[in-house]
Amino acid sequence: MIRLQDVAKVYDGGSVAVRDVTLDISKGEFVFLVGPSGSGKSTLIRLMLRQELPSDGVIWVAGKEITSMPGWKVPLLRRSIGTVFQDFKLLPNKTVHENVAFALEVIGRPKHVIRAQVPQVLKLVGLAAKADRLPNQLSGGEQQRVSIARAFVNRPLILLADEPTGNLDPATSIGIMRLLDRINRTGTTVVMATHDHAIVDAMRRRVVALERGRVVRDQSRGAYEQGTPPTGEFETIEG
Amino acid sequence: MRFQYLFEQALSNLRRNVLVVFAAVVAVLVMLTLVFGTIVVRWSIDQDIGRWDDNVRVIAFLGDDLSLDEITALQTEISGWDEVSSVVYFSKSEALDEFRDLFKDQQALIDVVEEDPSVLPASLRIAPNEAAEYSAITDRLVVIPGIREVSAADEAIDALVSRSARLRTFAAWIVIVLGAAAVVLIANTIRIAIFARRDEIGIMKLVGAGNWFVRIPFLLEGLIEGVIGAALAVALVWAVAGSIAELFSTAATTGVLDVPESFLFRQALLVLGFGAGTGLLGSAFGMWGFLRD
Repeated sequence: MIRLQDVAKVYDGGSVAVRDVTLDISKGEFVFLVGPSGSGKSTLIRLMLRQELPSDGVIWVAGKEITSMPGWKVPLLRRSIGTVFQDFKLLPNKTVHENVAFALEVIGRPKHVIRAQVPQVLKLVGLAAKADRLPNQLSGGEQQRVSIARAFVNRPLILLADEPTGNLDPATSIGIMRLLDRINRTGTTVVMATHDHAIVDAMRRRVVALERGRVVRDQSRGAYEQGTPPTGEFETIEG
Repeated sequence: MRFQYLFEQALSNLRRNVLVVFAAVVAVLVMLTLVFGTIVVRWSIDQDIGRWDDNVRVIAFLGDDLSLDEITALQTEISGWDEVSSVVYFSKSEALDEFRDLFKDQQALIDVVEEDPSVLPASLRIAPNEAAEYSAITDRLVVIPGIREVSAADEAIDALVSRSARLRTFAAWIVIVLGAAAVVLIANTIRIAIFARRDEIGIMKLVGAGNWFVRIPFLLEGLIEGVIGAALAVALVWAVAGSIAELFSTAATTGVLDVPESFLFRQALLVLGFGAGTGLLGSAFGMWGFLRD
């Protein structure tokens, strides 16, 4: 589903964000990208979204080689990818319903599809009752649910999440992780960059650890730190 | 439905920044008012130039005492000159007809001429082989007895032609200077609109909105600004076109000149197209480097 081969990203001025990264992510996987700030997690997410081009190497996403893809095809690529960010990126003057509907409107989905799909996905994230609220009338966790609803409403093949729990307290984070886990179970490939130890240790999914731009560990059912025993919170999150 | 959506976005951009949009529209308005005004003035001057027959540059007015035979002999002689390409005889009655036509809206002048036909003499209208030869022809004509007066149209025409050319230059400078200002002001409104919507645009791009879906509202915004400015300029100049033409006409007529509507309409379309082009160019500059994927 996602494949990076010998990927490097060097910024103007010579700072190296990512180097020699080779990574294969299969359909339906749930992958954590972990590592300290500046280790290259977010850069990898941006590369997969083609918000940036690698300085070296080749990237395939959803069956397409995206590094040499012409610019006009990028929107089509992004329609097969849902994205969730630490800062939610909701439009403050639109209601919950409008924020989710916006993602369908701007890719030209017909009105009847929007009317059918938005309530459905709001129900999935547990916000059906708050469809008419504005984002600032919601808690942080609820806002992140809206942004997940927006990312998922188009049924993407891939969900990329960059520190989705970064602004949330641990209890709220668990709720968000349950939601991402549910989405993953529908067959959606989930890649999540995080430095939240508790979540990674509790979920025990594939962990790709980065350090100064390199992959230093790639472990299925891993923990944030190598050798950490299971925390036993797995069941809590799996719900 | 999609076009309606894009159009609504453009309108909401315009409403959001009324003041800067106003400045951009006024810049287009001023530029195109001057351009359209200049077009009308040139029309008026071209009318003056058209008063002179295409090639006739020298007119020899004949004494009233010449017989028709003498005139024919004179005509044959002058036709034989190297510098001359053609000589046409213009009788007193033809001169009167022409006068009536030229000054048809000034009966008082016509009355004067009809009372005393001698003020409009018969003439030979001489077209030189080359325009510059008019002075040589004039020199040879003035010594011929029976020719009352020689009038070379060159200086008058040259003055008009050079006036027309200066106006063209003037209009070109207006287009360059004010056009650049208008483009920059429109680009400015587009940048402000993009800045105001940057979060929205960021999300649109993330969820896979097509590049043109993102760009079109901004192109429409610039287009609307350009067309509104042009439409106002057209309305303004059209309303006073007659007075402008009269102001710059050298014709003896007074009062408002009747600029033909078909001419105004064609030029108005041109001006509107020019406004639209200015708007689109401004949009393109405003978006430059901002709305890439």
